[in-house]
Amino acid sequence: MVRFILFFLVSNFVFSQSYFVYVASESDDTVSLLKFENNEINEVERITVGTYPTEIEGPHGITVDPNGKFWYLSLAHGNPFGKLVKYSTESNEVVDETTLGLFPASMQVSTTTGFLYCVNFNLHGSMKPSTVSVVDPVTMTEITTITTGSMPHGSRISPDGLFQYSVAMMSGELFEIDALGLEVNRTLDLENKMMKNDGMKSMDGMKSMDEMKSMDEMKSMDGMKHSMVKPTWVIPHPKQNLAYVAGNGSDEVIEVDLDAWKVSDRFKTGKGPYNLEISPDGKLLIGTIKSEGKTAIWNLDDKKLLGEIKNTTSVSHGIAISSDSKYAFISVEGIGGEPGIVDVISLENYQLISSIEVGKQAGGIAFWKQDNL
Amino acid sequence: MKNNILLLIFISFSTLLFSQEKSVISDLDELKLDIGQIYKPTTYSVDNQGKKYDCERVYYYYKKGAFSMTGKVMEFNRANGTIKAVEPGYHEVVAICYGSGKSIRRTFNVTINYPKVKSIDIITENESIYTDTYIPLSYKITDQMDVVRDIDYWKSDNAERYFSNLEFSINSSNDKLNIDDSNNVLAVKAGSATINVVFDGVKSSKTINIKKNPVTNINLSLQKPEKVRTGDVINLKADAYDKRGNLISNIKLKYSFTGKSFDKSNSASGLILQDGRFVGDVPGKYILTASFGNTSKSKIINVFQRKVQREVKKIGAGSVNDKHTSDFWVFEGVDKRDYAVTGTWGADGTAYFWDVTNPSDIKKIDSVQVDARTVNDVKVSPNGKIAIISREGASNRKNGIIIIDVTNPYDVKIIKEYTKNLTGGVHNLFIDEKHVYALSAGQKYYILNIEDPTNPIEVGMFELGKEGQAIHDVWVEDGIAYSSNWRDGVYLVDVGNGIAGGTPSNPVAFGNYTYDSGANHATFPFKSKSTGKFYAVMGDEIFPNGVNPNGTNETAGFLHFVDFSDVKNPVEIARYELPGHGSHNYWIDNDILYVGMYTGGVRIVDISGDLLGDLYKQGREIGYILTGTADGYIPNDTMVWGAQLYKGHVFYSDFNTGIGVAKVSDLKPNNSMTNQYVD
Repeated sequence: MVRFILFFLVSNFVFSQSYFVYVASESDDTVSLLKFENNEINEVERITVGTYPTEIEGPHGITVDPNGKFWYLSLAHGNPFGKLVKYSTESNEVVDETTLGLFPASMQVSTTTGFLYCVNFNLHGSMKPSTVSVVDPVTMTEITTITTGSMPHGSRISPDGLFQYSVAMMSGELFEIDALGLEVNRTLDLENKMMKNDGMKSMDGMKSMDEMKSMDEMKSMDGMKHSMVKPTWVIPHPKQNLAYVAGNGSDEVIEVDLDAWKVSDRFKTGKGPYNLEISPDGKLLIGTIKSEGKTAIWNLDDKKLLGEIKNTTSVSHGIAISSDSKYAFISVEGIGGEPGIVDVISLENYQLISSIEVGKQAGGIAFWKQDNL
Repeated sequence: MKNNILLLIFISFSTLLFSQEKSVISDLDELKLDIGQIYKPTTYSVDNQGKKYDCERVYYYYKKGAFSMTGKVMEFNRANGTIKAVEPGYHEVVAICYGSGKSIRRTFNVTINYPKVKSIDIITENESIYTDTYIPLSYKITDQMDVVRDIDYWKSDNAERYFSNLEFSINSSNDKLNIDDSNNVLAVKAGSATINVVFDGVKSSKTINIKKNPVTNINLSLQKPEKVRTGDVINLKADAYDKRGNLISNIKLKYSFTGKSFDKSNSASGLILQDGRFVGDVPGKYILTASFGNTSKSKIINVFQRKVQREVKKIGAGSVNDKHTSDFWVFEGVDKRDYAVTGTWGADGTAYFWDVTNPSDIKKIDSVQVDARTVNDVKVSPNGKIAIISREGASNRKNGIIIIDVTNPYDVKIIKEYTKNLTGGVHNLFIDEKHVYALSAGQKYYILNIEDPTNPIEVGMFELGKEGQAIHDVWVEDGIAYSSNWRDGVYLVDVGNGIAGGTPSNPVAFGNYTYDSGANHATFPFKSKSTGKFYAVMGDEIFPNGVNPNGTNETAGFLHFVDFSDVKNPVEIARYELPGHGSHNYWIDNDILYVGMYTGGVRIVDISGDLLGDLYKQGREIGYILTGTADGYIPNDTMVWGAQLYKGHVFYSDFNTGIGVAKVSDLKPNNSMTNQYVD
């Protein structure tokens, strides 16, 4: 009897969790607050963002403050500079904003420094080094910019909060920024020197290959190297001194040994891996395979593919993982007038559990909190 | 007992919390620095017991941010922990004290002193100074860093900004000058007098020779129509004479006016310039005066209602109510019938084609759907064969333009997707004969040769070439491209006119005008048929309260009429501002303005004759229509995107309803249904 009651209580506890996620819809200028509970995800609120009702301002990156009280949104398009906007999680209303650089994108707040580090993606700009903006989110002031590579994307903080990592999509580099010193600490060339030319493919968001003439010319354009790896994301491991990079152009995940500061492994993926996240328990690597509309899950112990789940619509984009490492929330952009979709995937059985339509071109996604019912 | 334990826990916890509360202490507080001075602040934290803690790291930053700083206000050397004073003024500096994985911060006021004044030049505007006239003075201040500032006390905001905290005094050497409490200088007696000023302890003097006012009579004539209407510009011509009746040249007469409205509940208003141009805004009696010292001459005129209102009626519409509509273009097809194309916004990348030959029976005849969320702009080549639509929000982020064969508008065909250098999104475009001008990522525009529309060839590009360059629209007429560049205003670029030797492959900028709001969103060139004057009509786009997702969006901004007759010296001379509503896109034909005023509907405005002042107040509006409909995408919400006059009909697109057409009648408005006479 006691066992039964205990089982009942534990079961009830397990199945009565609710999870909250924010997702930005880049072509709708909206952010959706989603709630997942009892194996079903629903939209709690759709928040209109931006300033111009007749201009698309492109909410791209989104992150939640470690204190859970605020969420931050990057608006890619301005005149011409984008913005970072701070919202209250309590009211989902604007608290403050500041101007950043060209096409500000992914970002994260360091629990140690308290600063927010946001890459200025400059997706459609010329092939020249861009920056990472460092923002004091208390005063919402951009306190400095740190020059990195061409088209920096992905911005993730080391577990100790002392380093920020981003990759430069066009120059194919991994950057480590000293989060306290506010300067680039180390740079790593991610190119695979053994890669053949046919490893190059058309890439998201940049000139297609038919617009480029030859390999030599491509590499020398604007005096900058043009990466074949085309890294789009980096995620440091929560418990080991490793980081994983999505090689969007080379269809691979690149493991980087942060102690040795060198590539320690590469393994192939489907076409166009885009975002990567690691479950908080450090066991699973989850990646969106953008060009195939899939989500892949690897076991980080042996790098074996545990599951590859077809997303509900095309153009898989961002990943947020629940703090208990049980669920992955995947934003999927869709095409044209299709709604964006957030898929919920079980990290226990690698199955799609639930989906919800959100605004068009769902992209940036952030896990907010897990509540007991 | 249980409550007591809880209370004890609470108190202990609170005590622990408060005992750990720290504050940042820094000698930045009320710090004063000289320009160029490098200072290393001392910063630490204290707890509420007064215990001092060193910071493991200290960060300083200018509170307005790195973006606005760009080395202009202060420079921070994080390695050395120093700040360098650059720009004088009061500034807020934030100090963050970091220690043990936590950051605390405080804002401090830091003053960067203006450099000491080194020398002062007193500037008088007029060469000759006469009794009974005021002497406008300005000052050229050179500081010890050789920075020169022009301070004009007749523009007090300038003076206030730089010298409000500096000692200033002014006096005259004798009673030939009278200086009032506001430091205005009046010449009262003929002879010589010296003006003495002291700025921040530095003295300067200027000797003034005052002549006796020779003017005893002024002859004032008015160049005006027989019947003056509101908005009619009158030219005052005044000559001054001495007591012998000789004409006096080289003096500047002052023009002014007073007036009384015919309407007891209204006040007279107008504008008079010191070159003698006057315009009355409201019907009334106006006294126009030319004066010099104590001598003046006035003329009285009656200003009557302009009476240009006409009946404007909606005669047809093509409904799009399942998505937002963006821009549109009406054109004559190769079969000589009339057609239109409309874009869609924030939707599924559709553009619609319409047969508008019978404006009262607009028919949707075809559509294209492309990989985009917004087709913001649509244009058709002058020969009616090619339409080009812009893309934003393409799923592969390669936006660019789509070229469409519209020789048969009932069966349009996409013939080319072109994305080179345009992946960032094309917000607006313009087709000028053989070339299309397409914006790229809101920063520049590319010029493509489309003689073979299946193979566009990039031939040129124009950008301002400065950090933060932004562009919203481009319009081409007579070989001149008018780009609207938000805070950088309009740029006139020769792309084949010849005025500056430019071509599409070598665009050459030759004119520019900016204004304070920084909201230049569109520009339409306007050569006045009635006066021959040339204007750039520059429109704002402003949403003062951002987005309202639950109702009508508040809009603001107006059209600025800038006289570009002298391209090197453009002069903003008039405005069309509709109270409570903001401007968007517009069209001018035969001295009539057709403007989409967003929530204010389509407005039709008489802009004939000379233009001066506030055109709306002058009753120049011919008529208007509101375009919201009960079955609109947002019901009953007027949001006019733009207007185009085509073969005598006023076409428009509305964000919520699609395309529509109206007709301006020759009849005056029908007042039979109004309740203007209430017993």
